[in-house]
Amino acid sequence: MTASRQLTWTGDETKESAAIDQEATAGSGGAPDGRERRAGRRKRADGTAAPAELRADCIADSAGGLTFDLTAPKDTAPAWSAALVLRRRGGDGADDEVRLPLGPNGAGRLRAVLPSTVALAEGRWNAYADLGDGDALRRLQPGVNDLRSLVDRRPLAGIGRLGVRIPYATKLGNLALRSWLRGPHAEAGDILVSPDGMTVSGRLYGAAPAAGALAEARARRAAGSPAPVTVPLTVDGPEFCFTLPYEELAGRWAHGTEPWDLWLRPAEGAHPVRIARLLDDVADKKQVFNYPALPVPAGAAQLRIGPYYTLDNDLAVRVAGPDAG
Amino acid sequence: MHISFLIHNAYGIGGTIRTTCTLARTLAEQHDVEIVSALRHRDTPVFDPGPRVALRHLVDLRESGPHYDGGDPAHARPAKVFPAAERRYDQYSELTDRRIAQHLRRIEADVVVGTRPGLNVHLARQTRRGPVRIGQEHLTLDTHSRALKMALRGAYPRLDAVTTVTEADARAYRRRLRLPGVRVEAVPNGVPAPALPPADGTGKVVVAAGRLAPVKRYDVLVRAFARVVAERPDWRLRIYGGGAEKAALRSLIDELGLYNHVFLMGPAHPLEAEWAKGSIAAVSSSMEAFGMTIVEAMRCGLPVVATDCPHGPGEIISDGVDGRLVPVGDPEAMAGALLTLIGDDDARRRMGAAALAASARFDPARIAARHEALFGELLARRRASWLHGGLHRARGALLSGAYATKDAARAALRGVRTA
Repeated sequence: MTASRQLTWTGDETKESAAIDQEATAGSGGAPDGRERRAGRRKRADGTAAPAELRADCIADSAGGLTFDLTAPKDTAPAWSAALVLRRRGGDGADDEVRLPLGPNGAGRLRAVLPSTVALAEGRWNAYADLGDGDALRRLQPGVNDLRSLVDRRPLAGIGRLGVRIPYATKLGNLALRSWLRGPHAEAGDILVSPDGMTVSGRLYGAAPAAGALAEARARRAAGSPAPVTVPLTVDGPEFCFTLPYEELAGRWAHGTEPWDLWLRPAEGAHPVRIARLLDDVADKKQVFNYPALPVPAGAAQLRIGPYYTLDNDLAVRVAGPDAG
Repeated sequence: MHISFLIHNAYGIGGTIRTTCTLARTLAEQHDVEIVSALRHRDTPVFDPGPRVALRHLVDLRESGPHYDGGDPAHARPAKVFPAAERRYDQYSELTDRRIAQHLRRIEADVVVGTRPGLNVHLARQTRRGPVRIGQEHLTLDTHSRALKMALRGAYPRLDAVTTVTEADARAYRRRLRLPGVRVEAVPNGVPAPALPPADGTGKVVVAAGRLAPVKRYDVLVRAFARVVAERPDWRLRIYGGGAEKAALRSLIDELGLYNHVFLMGPAHPLEAEWAKGSIAAVSSSMEAFGMTIVEAMRCGLPVVATDCPHGPGEIISDGVDGRLVPVGDPEAMAGALLTLIGDDDARRRMGAAALAASARFDPARIAARHEALFGELLARRRASWLHGGLHRARGALLSGAYATKDAARAALRGVRTA
């Protein structure tokens, strides 16, 4: 799916569009990127070789750490100050740049490690190499990403704050990471849809579900926002399950396409926790985890209702009217 | 040896391009190797043949570039040498005819290698006297139209060798085209060792990869997986690739209620990282000219459950040892084979290890050595025949002419255009 197609959705979903992977608009955080890219293109148009690209292989461990392995460019001895630099897209604060020492690792190889204990704010982080030679940062290209330990990642439920980083290739073919930092976190698992509603099972991290725990659907519509729909939670240790009846969402539908975000309240009076799917190797759930939208009557109109993942991999429900494309 | 490959478009994406880059890169460790791309539409190739391979083009189709050839009136006129029955005919022209002819008339190489039927015809008809001429077939004779087969039969006697990617296809060439004096040999595609450790057999994921095209029969695989899920709901199926069948497969997944178990992952590159996440690979195709994905999966340590379709799978997989072969279009049989491997951890790991060992025979170094041996023998034969007055060449030309006359007469009767 292209960014332009994602942007064609109704205004109700503009909250998501801000998170679209658009490097071109990365602005402040990604200025060197644009310069390098243009310079590279000019060179190639002259028929001369562009600077050799720098690829990083990534290995993920099940605790949330990442190891980056690079092949050192020929005839450069990396300086002691060499670093792998991560910059959060759209951010320009002190916390939006992380420098990881880039040290020798065998013949012609360099290695940097991002331990699970280093917190990265939620968002998309571009990866660069600073070879310590005084030259500009060089954008890294993705090599082989060994993410097998993320496929069925299942941390201990007691974990206080959950860090998730998934490396991926951007649309322009550069290396970037997606990061989530959540505590508590409600991880969505299997979802079953039926004409009556959707049943979500999942697992709660960093909080124990207690009396009065409930799931909550909140309309994203700003003006004249309808009351949330709440349903009780069935709980078994950290595992939870709830069924959200479509009838209630249909009853609150006004026009067009209306997205609802799903939250979980671990106990009465507790802070709500966003329900999301983060614990695997798939950077963009929206493309891969698809669920049927089923027909639901609302008065004279026929709606289609179904769950989906937002561009931030949060769980939502789309209520689409008959006029919605 | 100086070896020169002629390829349709080295700058695109596809099996022939990838395998040619792998072969050229490997041969370049010992020889002078160039890849000549008939067409070029972008600045940088997607598959990198490495620094030792010289890469150039004959017709430049980069619209923004200073050497754009697309506006040349000769490029608007139809090709006469490139056969009209070739699938790529529309992309060839009087201009490509001329540029390819110039290239082949002046070629300095000892061995010139064509990589698709239309280019092999150019090689046969236009290469100057001297170089050994090899025509590679990356698809199969069966998939060519009757008109193309006739065009090939007319031209191929002037080649020194035709190579196919399977023994089955080599047999078809020997039996159906009858090219006396032309070596017909099967040399499979090379697949490099993956850059990451093999799968350890613990992941509860079945992996498939390929274009979402009807010939891949992913509908059969999805139906088979419905049976698998009924018994083993803890396993998942991931299908990598994009294509026209995506919407139909999506509907089938939803209809069978498999949306928590079967995932259309989209295209992935490189694929080796994705195989390594699985424990079993599945191939449901009704036809595989070779079966590159089977070898890729095996090189990552996965046993492969594949249909015993023409032509490749049966020559790659040893049934019951490093994978399973099942009948084409039979979801029950496919599900049965998958469930056997899912239910038996030891067998799965044993067959995965066997797949890893057996697939080493497709290592680019070993495959390149087979090509090299063939080139070397033909070159020696060529030099010997010069001493004997170039008899072979003369016979090839005569035979080629005779077939061409006969086939043209036949075509005229049927009203087929042979170009």
